[in-house]
Amino acid sequence: MAPAQDTMFRSADMSMVQLYIANEIGREIVNALGELGQIQFRDLNSETTAFQRTFTQEIRRLDNVERQLRYFHTQMDKAGIPLRKLDLDIETLAAPSASEIDELSDRSQSLERRVASLNDSYETLKKREVELTEWRWVLREAGGFFDRAHGNVEEIRASTDDDDAPLLQDIEQNMQGQNGDGDRSFSVMNIGFVAGVIPRDRVAAFERILWRSLRGNLYMNQSEIPEPLVDPTTNEEVNKNVFVIFAHGKEIIAKIRRISESLGADLYAVDENSDLRRDQIFTVNNRLTDLGDVLRNTRQTLDAELTQIARSLAAWMVIIKKEKAVYQTLNLLSYDHARKTLIAEAWCPSNSLPLIKSTLHDVNNRAGLSVPSIINEIRTNKTPPTYQKTNRFTEGFQTIINAYGTCKYQEVNPGLPTIVTFPFLFAVMFGDLGHGFLMVVAAAAMIHWEQKLKKVRDELFGMAFYGRYIMLMMGIFSMYTGLVYNDVFSKSLSIFPSAWEWDLPENWHPNMTVTASLKDNYRYPFGIDWMWHGTENALLFSNSYKMKLSILMGWAHMTYSLCLSYINGRHFKTPIDIWGVFVPGMIFFQSIFGYLVFSIILKWSIDWYAIEVSPPGLLNMLIYMFLSPGTIDGEALYRGQATVQVILVLLAVIQVPILLFLKPFYLRWEHNKAHAQGYRGIGETSRVSALDGDGDEDTLGDRSSIASEGVAIITQDLGGGEEHEEFEFSEVMIHQVIHTIEFCLNCVSHTASYLRLWALSLAHQQLSVVLWNMTLGNGLAKTGALGVAMIVITFYMWFFLTIAVLVVMEGTSAMLHSLRLHWVEAMSKHFMGDGIPFEPFSFKQMLEDDDQAADLQ
Amino acid sequence: MATGVSIFIGLAVVVIMSLLAWFLSPKGETQTIWRSSLILAFASCYLMWAITFLAQLHPLIVPRRGDLTEHAAHEN
Repeated sequence: MAPAQDTMFRSADMSMVQLYIANEIGREIVNALGELGQIQFRDLNSETTAFQRTFTQEIRRLDNVERQLRYFHTQMDKAGIPLRKLDLDIETLAAPSASEIDELSDRSQSLERRVASLNDSYETLKKREVELTEWRWVLREAGGFFDRAHGNVEEIRASTDDDDAPLLQDIEQNMQGQNGDGDRSFSVMNIGFVAGVIPRDRVAAFERILWRSLRGNLYMNQSEIPEPLVDPTTNEEVNKNVFVIFAHGKEIIAKIRRISESLGADLYAVDENSDLRRDQIFTVNNRLTDLGDVLRNTRQTLDAELTQIARSLAAWMVIIKKEKAVYQTLNLLSYDHARKTLIAEAWCPSNSLPLIKSTLHDVNNRAGLSVPSIINEIRTNKTPPTYQKTNRFTEGFQTIINAYGTCKYQEVNPGLPTIVTFPFLFAVMFGDLGHGFLMVVAAAAMIHWEQKLKKVRDELFGMAFYGRYIMLMMGIFSMYTGLVYNDVFSKSLSIFPSAWEWDLPENWHPNMTVTASLKDNYRYPFGIDWMWHGTENALLFSNSYKMKLSILMGWAHMTYSLCLSYINGRHFKTPIDIWGVFVPGMIFFQSIFGYLVFSIILKWSIDWYAIEVSPPGLLNMLIYMFLSPGTIDGEALYRGQATVQVILVLLAVIQVPILLFLKPFYLRWEHNKAHAQGYRGIGETSRVSALDGDGDEDTLGDRSSIASEGVAIITQDLGGGEEHEEFEFSEVMIHQVIHTIEFCLNCVSHTASYLRLWALSLAHQQLSVVLWNMTLGNGLAKTGALGVAMIVITFYMWFFLTIAVLVVMEGTSAMLHSLRLHWVEAMSKHFMGDGIPFEPFSFKQMLEDDDQAADLQ
Repeated sequence: MATGVSIFIGLAVVVIMSLLAWFLSPKGETQTIWRSSLILAFASCYLMWAITFLAQLHPLIVPRRGDLTEHAAHEN
């Protein structure tokens, strides 16, 4: 059975296959199949948890490697080293061997250790540097304090020993004696001090606490460090102050130390002797320069290391991600311990089977294994997944359909007609040659620079880019409908001579209301006659025209969609769906709305002036067709109209019971007949794979029996009967009642819904007229220098508003309306949509879906 | 020149174009897409044109305007 070529008309033929893979090359085979991206593995271990599966260890190890690679990435971000991006379209990464993966894992392990240790030492050094810097500031600033403090020793003393006047004098004399040698004075006076730095925002609290706890027994001096210091742990800049506190007594000094440490101040040793201090500053400076050198070196080594990693990190990430996906897939397979083989079950498109077979063969040959890998097609009554093969062009259109629902396996894919109908219905609403042209230009630009723009990661742009081919089609059809509407940025084109001539009376003068008359035997050949443009009754004409246009278009679209349900009925070999649903539905719809369409066209093609009859109103005709069948309100459209209408109404009414009862009763009759002949529902046992083993008491024994017989198919009790539902008349009946009511009401409401085509196109056209009159129309009215300036200004206004409001905003709105017409009005006529999407195991897809991997490209 | 018969001439042209589209569509995987899209596009465009043409075949109202200039009055 050679399957027919897969087309977009319906989803691809799928086959369930069973793969027997030698354990040794399981990894390589799954890898090759992942590159192919044509096969969806079924989970054969659904009853085992993720931790109990065979390859959990490997996945855990790969997770660790992935974490290490992510760590490198964050380190690189921190150091500002750019990652070399990987273009997967150009570079294809060869499937790595298992030893290469081991090597990579070891390498990233050692690299991680190295980077981490470099990082640690860098951070320690940095901390040291900050400390030294702070110390230097303390030394520098404290020097100033001390010099000032020496000048004030008398005051300090005076304040501390206020009540002991004689001693004061004594010291005073002493002091005068050793004026040049004031360094000793603090220790002599038993005055101690504490020096350090504290974050600037804590200074106020610090001062207050000190003041309160020491009851003011202190002398505090502080100054701001002009440059902010960087905290190495958080990488934040902190402004700090240097402080020196002088106080009396050891306990108080100890208390000050405790308070300052608890408030996050760093204390540094400062000698009060200025010579020693100078030495200290000198050593600190020396150590700082040494430290700076070491720091620079460490940084350079780290950067070099990271740059080295950056060169291949993207490739490593991709390799690890693929490897992990391979093991996750291997976990879905079942492992036969007795024969050391892996057994897989998978869905794949029937047309890809040869390709998959040759891939397996290649891998097998390369590995030089004597045991061949076997691929076996098995028959099953499980519903295959729906696989719509798309290309760049059709992808967007198919997405429109998939957003609503996944097609049932092999039903008519509405995505195919959507390629034309979606942009066309859009264009009916958006019709303007100019606006359509702008859209085509934008879409063509996106298509032309496709490769470059693919990399742009912006959500809004991404959406427009994804729909670039939809936009192109919308633009092209909008240009066509623009020509038909004779609208170019709200102006008209006069390509052909008009069918109208102005009837100018003898006494004609400008600003006199005149009417036109038709030329003989000539009609404007393409689109709306330009003579209508700007007339007083242009809206009257275009409303009547566009309203009927919408009804006709809607009727055509819905009839087309309804016909697709006939094709579905024929494909699925359910004649009852044709005779019980499609045919009565079609007759019902056509005898009401098909007749309306017929009347519209008939009314158009009769020259009412020539036969001197006033034309009948179609709306009233349709209403009275039901309200009072057999009578005609006003003039008849044609002879025998009353009889025809009665027949049509009867025809429509008869369809309702047919639609309601034929299908459920037929199904019941069929079911009873089958039952009477002794057939049992096939749902009670069903053919599935040997490996689904739940429900069997002895799965292992079962498997070995299969192994001995070499048969891959058994019948198995499904228990719940998930595939085949028991026939229940009431359910079918209710379903059909709902369908009938819905269908009959929807015929009316959906036809009315197509009137949005008229409303939107009217709104679009009027908006563009208003925009023209408000901007460029004004600009063109002025003359002279002012006119030139006005034209320039108003042109830009007009142009940008045209793009923003008329093309982007109106375009979006028309697109949404067209979307609705497809999802609701058209697809409700035939779409079953209970399919399961085909999700093949594909590296390409996996990397596209992974945000992190997307950053690497 | 262009009167009611044009509708049928147009129809014939579109049918011929559709037949050409059917037979000249490039072979291969995209053949169905070419055929369906081209024929649907021709049919839709024909419908649009035909409806517009029919609507103006025997119009019930005539253009009327009061702001006609000397130049526009004699142009057609």
